Amino acid sequence: MHSDLHRIFLIAKRDYLATIRTKAFIIGLVVAPLLFGGGFLGVALMVNKPDIKERRIALVDATGVVAAAVIQAAQERSAKDLFDKTTHRQLQPRYVFETLAPAADPKLQRLELSERIRHEQLFAFVEIGPTVLNGVLQAAPQTADDSKPGPVATYTNAGGFDEASRWLSTSVNEGIQRVRLVQLGVGPDRLAGVLADVKVDRFGLLSRDPKTGEIHDAGKKNEVAEFAVPFGIMLLLGMIVMVGSSPMLSAVTEDKAQRLVEMLLGLVTPFELMMGKVLGALGTSLTSSAFYIIGGTLALYGMGLSGMVPFAVFPWFYVYLIADVVFLCSFAAALGAGCGSPQDAQQLAILLLAPIMIPYFLITFVIQQPNGAISTGLSLFPPFTPMLMLLRQAMPSGGVPAWQPWVGLAGVLVFTLIMVVAAARIFRVAILMQGKNAKMADLVRWAVRG
Amino acid sequence: MDAVQISHVTKTFGAVTAVDDLSLTVPEGSVYGFIGPNGSGKTTTMRMISSIFYPDRGDIRVFGKQMLGARSELIGYLPEERGLYKKMAVQPMLEFYGELRSGRKVTAEVEGWLKRLDLAKWASHKVQELSKGMSQKVQFIATVVPAPKLLILDEPFSGLDPVSADAIQSAILDLRRGGVTVILSTHDMQVAEHMCDYICMIFRGKKVLDGTLASIQNQYGNDTIRVAAAGGMQFLDGLPDVERVRDLGQVQELRMARGCDPQQVLRTLIARTRVSSFSIMKPSLHDIFVRIAGPEAAEEQIA
Repeated sequence: MHSDLHRIFLIAKRDYLATIRTKAFIIGLVVAPLLFGGGFLGVALMVNKPDIKERRIALVDATGVVAAAVIQAAQERSAKDLFDKTTHRQLQPRYVFETLAPAADPKLQRLELSERIRHEQLFAFVEIGPTVLNGVLQAAPQTADDSKPGPVATYTNAGGFDEASRWLSTSVNEGIQRVRLVQLGVGPDRLAGVLADVKVDRFGLLSRDPKTGEIHDAGKKNEVAEFAVPFGIMLLLGMIVMVGSSPMLSAVTEDKAQRLVEMLLGLVTPFELMMGKVLGALGTSLTSSAFYIIGGTLALYGMGLSGMVPFAVFPWFYVYLIADVVFLCSFAAALGAGCGSPQDAQQLAILLLAPIMIPYFLITFVIQQPNGAISTGLSLFPPFTPMLMLLRQAMPSGGVPAWQPWVGLAGVLVFTLIMVVAAARIFRVAILMQGKNAKMADLVRWAVRG
Repeated sequence: MDAVQISHVTKTFGAVTAVDDLSLTVPEGSVYGFIGPNGSGKTTTMRMISSIFYPDRGDIRVFGKQMLGARSELIGYLPEERGLYKKMAVQPMLEFYGELRSGRKVTAEVEGWLKRLDLAKWASHKVQELSKGMSQKVQFIATVVPAPKLLILDEPFSGLDPVSADAIQSAILDLRRGGVTVILSTHDMQVAEHMCDYICMIFRGKKVLDGTLASIQNQYGNDTIRVAAAGGMQFLDGLPDVERVRDLGQVQELRMARGCDPQQVLRTLIARTRVSSFSIMKPSLHDIFVRIAGPEAAEEQIA
């Protein structure tokens, strides 16, 4: 009797070859990154095509002096930021100001200006209250009620994250600071120098060569590498795992529907069948990953960005990839075995996506606080470990303690083993069921008792 | 040695007992046929012999060994529901199945069987391009490659045209002559009568008949008359001591009550119509099947 491993290998090989020879796989290799990266590509395209429609802003100035300073500050800022210095392409809208004196009935004035905004005659109006300059020598008064306007209030129907509103807020503050500085005796000719931005460079940490004792300078931090590299490699892991494991659900139900399963179960045990299918999917995922990793590395080298290639995390990437694909494919095989039809299986796909999608939602949080208690805890939670620990490890300044990836990996391996055993039990019982779906209680009972 | 020994095997699915305390032996080198109505437990029994299902109770031995869930290259199993990789070419798929069973390359055996069943020119075609009959022959080859010692065939002739059925029947009998033990299930009583050395009828999970055709028929004795008479059924009503008349079209079968005198039946018939054929015989397997599992039997059980 030949070995169980040989049977598993034969099934894996058949499934692997059947998958990678399809047009869908080859097209998917190209299309998947476009779909996953499409959002970011869209953002990049939108950044390159900013909305440069002229923005008209009304300043209702109760001080009589601040509006002019705000306009001057805005014009100077515009002069700096309006055009790309290399391409001379306009990057921002032009801002045109009109100054108004406060009316006797402020409410009516606000309503009239609001109507002008609704009719797109104005982008926003700013009320500069009479008390805005009171805080020069003392803390500026804070309004107790957040819903009531403070010393300066902007009214607009633009979105909460609108770049123009942020730009306007900066310009208004700079104008107010100018007036305050003048009141403090700073001459107008010195204002630009006082208010000039100072570029703050960011560096990593210095280190000492253990052999020579020489102190190595810290490298300058690359903001792109800080964000793009960990984000990119986590995105890649999630994409490959998802593309590799999600077809398993429908593949198993289709094999059931086409009555292939009983024929195969005459030749191999349910465990061998499941593991063969899982390893076939793993082979597909490793092929995709090789394509992307080699292609991405060559592309970065070609662009002269070889320093951004995170070679140190590649071994971890593959360990996590293997564990994640085995875990999710086993889970998918068990769910697929319990489904009566491919259509029923589709309804369960969301369960498979959760270990990938939830970490995606946590990216910003983890990148901002990579070593916070919540980031650490989440990255040690086995279903999320591959994605989140890899994200932390890939951050140049992540500073993940050396023990954490190993503890995370141990958790992932134990979790994967438990999932494979439970999935194999479910698969064995459910795979020959026809015409009905297993209930969740049945799946749990079979997973526990076999 | 017996090829298969089943001892007091029970298998339940939830509240349903599919197989109930079943015991039987399949002699090596024989053709052993399972008959019985749908849902009687034939497929479950064959799946247990193939180790696809495990019995809840009892013991199954194949060539003297308990299988305990392991797969063996000694067994070839053809399920009732046919399952082939539709997008694979015929020969690579058969080699895949053969290598799964035996652990070695089986190219020569596959080519031999494709020639034998007149499928050689289809070897490189995808399965989805084959007709239903050709697909079933391919599935049969997948079951017999490379050389199992025990073949378990669940409804092997279901849906086959006569030519394909003859080809597979001939192949099965050739394998039997080569020493292969064959267990098959069928709803075709003529197939069971003509092909099987032993017949086992399972009804509601229990074995109700087991033995050679002759031994089974002997249990009922010569209680059947087959008659061909002018006018057919219209002259057969009210014959003395005849329990049941079955119309086969050109001939009719009469089941005699215990103590019935066939000569008296013949005399009555001749008085009514012209009789061209009259023979006293043992009941057919079909008739025995209907006696056990037909509506009358069900009514008797309810009564």
